[in-house]
Amino acid sequence: MLNSWKLKEIVLMSLFGVVFGIVYLLFIHLGNIWAGLIGPIAYEWMFGIWFIVSIICMHIIRKPGAAVMPETMAAVIEVMLGNAVGPRLILSGIVQGLGAEAAFAVTRYRHFNLFVFMLAGIGAAVFSFIYGFFVSGYAALDPSFVALMFTLRVLSGAIIAGIGGKYIGDALLATGSLRGYAIARSKTGDASA
Amino acid sequence: MRNLLHDMNPAIKFVMVTVVMLGLAFFFNPWTPLLFFFGVICLQLFFSRMDWKIWSLFMLPFTLGAFGYLWTTIVFGAETEGTVIWSLFGFEVTDEQWAVALSLAFRVLAFSSLSLLFALTTDPVRFVMSLMQQLKLSPKIAYGVLVGYQFLPVLKDEFFQIQQAHRLRGAATEKYWWQRLLGIRRVIIPMLAGAVRKAERSAFAMEARGFTGEARTEFYRPVRAGRLDMVMSLVIVALFVGSCVFGVYLSG
Repeated sequence: MLNSWKLKEIVLMSLFGVVFGIVYLLFIHLGNIWAGLIGPIAYEWMFGIWFIVSIICMHIIRKPGAAVMPETMAAVIEVMLGNAVGPRLILSGIVQGLGAEAAFAVTRYRHFNLFVFMLAGIGAAVFSFIYGFFVSGYAALDPSFVALMFTLRVLSGAIIAGIGGKYIGDALLATGSLRGYAIARSKTGDASA
Repeated sequence: MRNLLHDMNPAIKFVMVTVVMLGLAFFFNPWTPLLFFFGVICLQLFFSRMDWKIWSLFMLPFTLGAFGYLWTTIVFGAETEGTVIWSLFGFEVTDEQWAVALSLAFRVLAFSSLSLLFALTTDPVRFVMSLMQQLKLSPKIAYGVLVGYQFLPVLKDEFFQIQQAHRLRGAATEKYWWQRLLGIRRVIIPMLAGAVRKAERSAFAMEARGFTGEARTEFYRPVRAGRLDMVMSLVIVALFVGSCVFGVYLSG
């Protein structure tokens, strides 16, 4: 699978991983302070932020793996920076990335429009919720409360990651620095590459 | 003795920490995570040169988070059986609910302490090297990640530069923290555009120097795995099994 990848695409994902790794860590700490007040539901409405790098990279590179790899790399870099969420971030990064990847795989990597990006955000939300259900022990919570958390996370995935990811990707395309990537080869930015 | 955790193979340490964390997720009694939390602190006391000031600084936000878990589980818990032990503001808290709430809160603490055991004793570059050498991560990805990591200080400088440029031109008049948070989007796009260019340049440079990204067996700086890693892994597993057994015993 890696043979079809150019090195510049991998380094690009890594650098995006660094930028978003920092953003992610910032929001983890913000979320933590917030979560001390209102509990784990504090994270839910902003969960989409943690899925965004998958969608931006897939928007730009448009190859199988361009959603799961940057998310994983961002997680590895978060771990390298050192934090108290630690190594399990890599696991959750892989899970979230796979969720986003699933949406692109279902559409066979042919369509890259807002709808698919929102679907990818939802996919990441669903996958990460199943994982979080297990690791954080949501089973101990009231089902209606868990349902509320789930709804918030899905909405956040669709809006922040889906719409936000497309917005950032399009804005980057407008800067002209993305010549030489799949996104620039499709004129409208959302036709199939 | 006090360098054992630092010398442990990073990839093996990573696998052990992750497996034990997933194992802990199966327990809903308060004693198992609590015992494990203290066990991890003991490990850090005996086998590492931990900077406890940094440790506390990192732990603080997660202690807050643990408190959030505690009261959320009490108020929104699924468990309603058992005898009522106390009530507050009309919420009746049963002993079972209290136990589960404590368990989830202690779980947060146990996870954080275990993460810090990893984070504060592991050299980031050696970690990626060891992922490549022991866990067969593709060199393309491993070196890609390392390039990104090395760019960290450059990106930091760039962040401040862009911010200052904005301020110089009067584009950013942010007074409150939430305005600054929204203002991130104005900084992030130039940052990412710069990142794209840097990625391209460094990828060309790597290829020009003969980097193909093929899997290899010989390394310039080998990271070894040996008997020490086996012993330390056994210690971690023993701690985990011990806290499981005693935790279930104490709460049963």
